[in-house]
Amino acid sequence: MVHILTFCTASQPEIPRHPLELLAAARALSAQLGEGTVHTLCVGPASGAYGEELIHRGADRVLTVECPSVEAEIALAVVESAVRHLAPKVVLFPHDDLSGAYVGPCLAYRLETGIATDCGGFAVQGEDIRWLRPVYGGKAMAYMRIRGPVQLATMRSRAFDPLPADPTRRGEIQSFPADWESVRPQIRVVERLEEKEEGELPLDRAEIIVSGGRGIGSAEGFAVLRELARVLGAAIGGSRPAADLGWVPHSHLVGQTGKIVAPNLYIAVGISGAAQHIAGAGSSKTIVAINKDSDAPIFKLAHIGVVEEWEKVIPALIEACREWRS
Amino acid sequence: MHIIVCIKQIIDPEVPFHLFRIDPVAKRQIQGTHPLVISTYDEVAVEVALQLKEKVGGRVTALTLGKKEALQALHQTLAMGADDAILLSDLNFEEMDSFGKARVLAAAVRKIGEFDLILCGRQAGDVELGLVGPFLAGELGIPCVPLVANFEVANGTIRMRRPVETGYEILEAPFPLLATITNDTSNVPRYASVKGLRAAMRVPIPCWSSADLGLSADALGPKPLRIEIDELFIPHREMRCELIEGESGAEKARNLAARLKALGLIG
Repeated sequence: MVHILTFCTASQPEIPRHPLELLAAARALSAQLGEGTVHTLCVGPASGAYGEELIHRGADRVLTVECPSVEAEIALAVVESAVRHLAPKVVLFPHDDLSGAYVGPCLAYRLETGIATDCGGFAVQGEDIRWLRPVYGGKAMAYMRIRGPVQLATMRSRAFDPLPADPTRRGEIQSFPADWESVRPQIRVVERLEEKEEGELPLDRAEIIVSGGRGIGSAEGFAVLRELARVLGAAIGGSRPAADLGWVPHSHLVGQTGKIVAPNLYIAVGISGAAQHIAGAGSSKTIVAINKDSDAPIFKLAHIGVVEEWEKVIPALIEACREWRS
Repeated sequence: MHIIVCIKQIIDPEVPFHLFRIDPVAKRQIQGTHPLVISTYDEVAVEVALQLKEKVGGRVTALTLGKKEALQALHQTLAMGADDAILLSDLNFEEMDSFGKARVLAAAVRKIGEFDLILCGRQAGDVELGLVGPFLAGELGIPCVPLVANFEVANGTIRMRRPVETGYEILEAPFPLLATITNDTSNVPRYASVKGLRAAMRVPIPCWSSADLGLSADALGPKPLRIEIDELFIPHREMRCELIEGESGAEKARNLAARLKALGLIG
């Protein structure tokens, strides 16, 4: 019997981190439930290439569906057919734009079953699973109980660390016969507009994020932060005022109304620490705050703080980091 | 074009951590003296609806499921520029999950009659599940287009603009449809003027009960609920911020860099 199914999209040649995190979550869940196998449904042009890595990282069986692109409606149809066919007890999705906002919720509706979105963990007692997720912008946490023929959960990125690759793990890789060709998507992408600054790292894949707030004062100020980000190999982020003022693109907004991030290192510069921002950055492993106001709420959240005008710190910080590099 | 916007009234999400309180038995936030507001993304959805109406003409109807206090959210929506507002309120509506809420909203949409577009915020600012929009599309059997920031009109065709990591996607889908709305620089909500609010207070807002919608308590979904909060708590944060000292900004920077390097975080 299939106990846990994880969902993985395969549209780029390199396997991303999030589906590997799901496998770590699935193994932990299956260990706590005391039984069961973990299968991964891998959908997309690169699905065959991912198979072995997914096995090494915790899957017992990988089901591949090599469709040319992973459009939302195709993904939904494929997952629905797999879930109906395999009847798993639990399906884990990445909480991303595709699965968190579309595939997971739409599948729950179709299967008339409960779903918990944006989960960071779970607690198991016997056969009972409670899903842990942030609510109220991260100011509170909730254990959710969901009921129905199958439990669906979308898992927030970086809630679990991928298991180390174990090349001795064995498992099956087989093609899953999903009928994606007869799906006629109603939603069509008719144009893609690139609006990305050259060389800017996306927030959700960064190990380090340098983020600025209203205290930076200008777009020119942000250029200094970008320089620090470049030196550190970091992504650039911004609080809501910084994004609304156009200093960083909205796709780099960190907060309850932007990206929820959890990098290894989050450097908050000139950010006071409004609840809205903390909702997006509060789960970062180490938070460094640089702010001239020692009473700023960000210092209640930060692990390391520098009370100083950012203009006096950042250039010297860039210099110090450059020296190591050379 | 008839646009229906579904909004939810919540306790101001900007309440800072140290003033945030919960009732662990009722499993919800305590309002205290904090104001009630339109949930962030729903207010953005109202803005998107009004912008589209300005481009193509038509009418915007705001719909909310809530208690009598939610009239205030509807008045604000009218003051922003919506044409009509309807409150869905009933004791039966108080203990529902996202399935039940979608069923009630769908019944209200059917009672309203024809429509071209339904907008919902991508997720509410309190429990943040993001389910009611997709479930409502399911109830009505119409496409659900997730995470749209705006609509554009080109050669008589209405297209949707969705922010993605690399920029924007322009989408087309057959109407009627439901879009869940996310924010970007194009849709920062307009303010409702005091004059507008005063005028809006005079607009009568119909209130529909479960009987008006022809919904029995059983139609609102099985009990126990399929999705519910079992336990709500405030995580314990014991934070001690390690302050980096130095004679000057430059020295603090060097000390910070050395500390981060020692922790293996950079370098």
